[in-house]
Amino acid sequence: MSDAHTVQTLRREFVLRCDPEGTIEHADAVAERYGLTPQARLSDRVAVDSHTKLKDFLARAQEKTADRWEITLLVEDAPMPVSVSGAAGDGGIWVVGNVLPQEFEVVMGQVRQSMAELADMHRTAERQQRELLRRNEELSRLNRELDDSARGMIVLHHEVEEKSDSLRRMSEVKSRLVSNVSHEFRTPLNSILGLTRMLLSRVDGELNEEQEKQLQYIRRSAESLTELVNDVLDLSKLEAGKVALRTGTFPVKELFSALRGMFKPLVPDPGVELVFEDPPEGFPDLDTDENKVSQVLKNLISNALKFTERGQVVVRADLPEPDKARFRVSDTGIGIAPEDQARIFEEFSQVESPIQRRVKGTGLGLSLSKRLATILGGELTVESEIGRGSTFSLVLPRQHPEVREMERLDQEAAELDPSRSQVLVVEDDRQTLFLYERYLRGSGFQVIPARSLEGARRKLEKIKPAAVVLDIMLDGESSWGFLRELKSRPETRDVPVLVVTVTNREHKARALGADEFCVKPMDREWLIRRLENIGRYRGAVERVLVIDDDEVSRYLVRKMLADTQYQVIEAEDVHDGVRMAQLERPHVIFLDFVLPTGTAFDVLDALKIDPRTRGIPVIIQTSKSLSDEEVAALSKDSTSVISKQSLSREVAIARIREALLQAGLGPATLATTASAEGV
Amino acid sequence: MVNSSQLRDAFIEAQLAGDRVRGLELMADGLASGMSVKDLHLEVIQQAQQEIGRMWVANEITVAREHAASAIAQLALAQLYPHLPRAESNGWRVVLACVEGEQHELAARIGNDFLEMAGFDVIYLGADTPADAVVEALAENHAHILALSITMSYHWPALERTIRTAQNAAPDVMLVVGGRAVEDKSDALTEMGVVCSAARADVMVERVSAEVAKRGRL
Repeated sequence: MSDAHTVQTLRREFVLRCDPEGTIEHADAVAERYGLTPQARLSDRVAVDSHTKLKDFLARAQEKTADRWEITLLVEDAPMPVSVSGAAGDGGIWVVGNVLPQEFEVVMGQVRQSMAELADMHRTAERQQRELLRRNEELSRLNRELDDSARGMIVLHHEVEEKSDSLRRMSEVKSRLVSNVSHEFRTPLNSILGLTRMLLSRVDGELNEEQEKQLQYIRRSAESLTELVNDVLDLSKLEAGKVALRTGTFPVKELFSALRGMFKPLVPDPGVELVFEDPPEGFPDLDTDENKVSQVLKNLISNALKFTERGQVVVRADLPEPDKARFRVSDTGIGIAPEDQARIFEEFSQVESPIQRRVKGTGLGLSLSKRLATILGGELTVESEIGRGSTFSLVLPRQHPEVREMERLDQEAAELDPSRSQVLVVEDDRQTLFLYERYLRGSGFQVIPARSLEGARRKLEKIKPAAVVLDIMLDGESSWGFLRELKSRPETRDVPVLVVTVTNREHKARALGADEFCVKPMDREWLIRRLENIGRYRGAVERVLVIDDDEVSRYLVRKMLADTQYQVIEAEDVHDGVRMAQLERPHVIFLDFVLPTGTAFDVLDALKIDPRTRGIPVIIQTSKSLSDEEVAALSKDSTSVISKQSLSREVAIARIREALLQAGLGPATLATTASAEGV
Repeated sequence: MVNSSQLRDAFIEAQLAGDRVRGLELMADGLASGMSVKDLHLEVIQQAQQEIGRMWVANEITVAREHAASAIAQLALAQLYPHLPRAESNGWRVVLACVEGEQHELAARIGNDFLEMAGFDVIYLGADTPADAVVEALAENHAHILALSITMSYHWPALERTIRTAQNAAPDVMLVVGGRAVEDKSDALTEMGVVCSAARADVMVERVSAEVAKRGRL
């Protein structure tokens, strides 16, 4: 290869001559390398886009000179930009071309690429930002929706609350209605029972056989109706949660023997045997509410007897778990179909059967028993097979959970905490005691529980509490007397006493000075005994005033006292009653709770005002449940009165403080308790 | 309101002077004076670019100057991009590419922005995209439409090649072609199976939108 040839291949410059139309007449080696050969038309070698430019270039070159025109050649179909200059000469146009430096093109391309990529990045960023905004908006929208639905939920919640409130109210109205109606039934039923009993006792002369039979029928009907009314009342009390638990320790054997005695006269059919299987030696005593256990068993046994025509009713007890006792009542009666077994515990449900139609029942017994079982912390279940008999099981904790809790409380109270002031809480209801304990925990007060006045007295011998909380409701004991006692003894006189009470007719009546309280129907012997008792303390009783709008009730008292030394005076309303009391100065007054023109309270108030009548003992009679009355009457005799319904930690503490202040206990003590409590 | 031809002249001046700051200022002025983004695209940037092209053909400027001018045009498009008035998404996905060898991507950029404004979801592949890369992107993005851009007519063989490859690989994809080289070629393109074509971005997107509307929202 010659040097000249090497130089040729390195050259990027070409020379050619063409005619004015662009047909190549002469071309050098470099031009030929790019396909610009003689005879070829330039326009065929130039990209379409450069045709116009080529034409202009040739025209310009022919005229004078055209300097550095960029034109795109197509070399083997690939565009190749060249810079050409041209001038007329030798009868044609001389064209000198320059291939634009390849490197320049490459770098230019790279720069363009970078530019495009930057633009892309910018767009991507922009798109992402837009996406973020969109998501953000979506989130805000969702948020708004959530807000809306939260608001909706609140509204819904309110509605539900209102609904449940109104349901609660309705249920309250229902149970009040039930108990009111039941009580309304009671008054005439009591009259019927009282009158039939009186007739059967032949106070008013002999009866012939037929009359006696009729009266027996009347009495039985009235009794079964009374049973129904009592069941309904029990149930509504259970529903209202008004049933107090009275626990104690008792051996199962004794419970069985009491039941055995009770049922002995009641086993109707000679073909049926009632068997109590005594528990094995060493069977532990139970510590729970014996009455309620007994009530459940009575129900189960009398049911079993009703539905068993032949065979046995067996009552037994065992321990399915160390801490649990199980009572089982099995019969060989008609049995209960599986589909009915759940239903029998519902109120007023009775399974249809020929026997069912024959035997009487309220349809409430099992429902009642089931609820009692729950109160005992236990469960009532049934296993049965049609035609073979049924077994009802009551499984309950040997020791009632509340008893256990109480033991803990007692243990805690046994050690006095020197950093806290002791408060003696005299309260028979455990639940309420637990409540006090919870309320006062960590408050600077230590609860010393006493579940009876006797217990309270024992505690008072050992400690001097900062305050006494006294429940006026204590069963069978006169809290008022205890209050008086506290106030009269020099060592306890300055201890503030809080009287806490629920509004309940009996206790209100007692609080107002009633000496006795009974629920109709009265038993004659009970009546006489009461009067004797009152007489024993107050001197001979001669005149008895009966204030009652119910004619039959008055008549019954009158008849009961007909052959005694007592003289009965009667009044029908508040005004009359008070007037008679002032006029006749009876030795004792029987007062019906609800009178046409007022309540027993009006009578009691009036009696108390007058010194002539103030001392007359009053026996309240009632056959109707009581409405809420003013608490003020109670507060007269006590430092403070609060209702259990409104009892809260705050109220309890505030009242105790008030009482302490009133008792002159220094604010220093209070300050320490307050700071301990962090108030 | 700023006159669009005045704005265009000023923009060309800035492009030729290589004054990108001035170019961006002019775009901002246009927006501020209430010109629509579409008008800035079509009346200012695109026409300026055509004028630059004309000036090269008239040998008034060199190719280097032309490159600098398109860089400023790209920048201007980027500046306008956030302000695009966008229709609600229509659910159609478009893969947009310049055919192999095609270095002029400004038209494709404008096409991209017009497609986005019309509610299309655009996957932009840029300048000089080989047919294989196009087919790959179609599959990867489950695209419904392939839009090809061609400015210089000497890339026609590349266009034909790309269309054939795409038709083989993804026969269901709708084909559209835009760019200056498309002028007066619609019959030939229809024969090749291209559904719509137009030299101007706005016309092309209008046609695609009409076609899409005919076929229904995805």
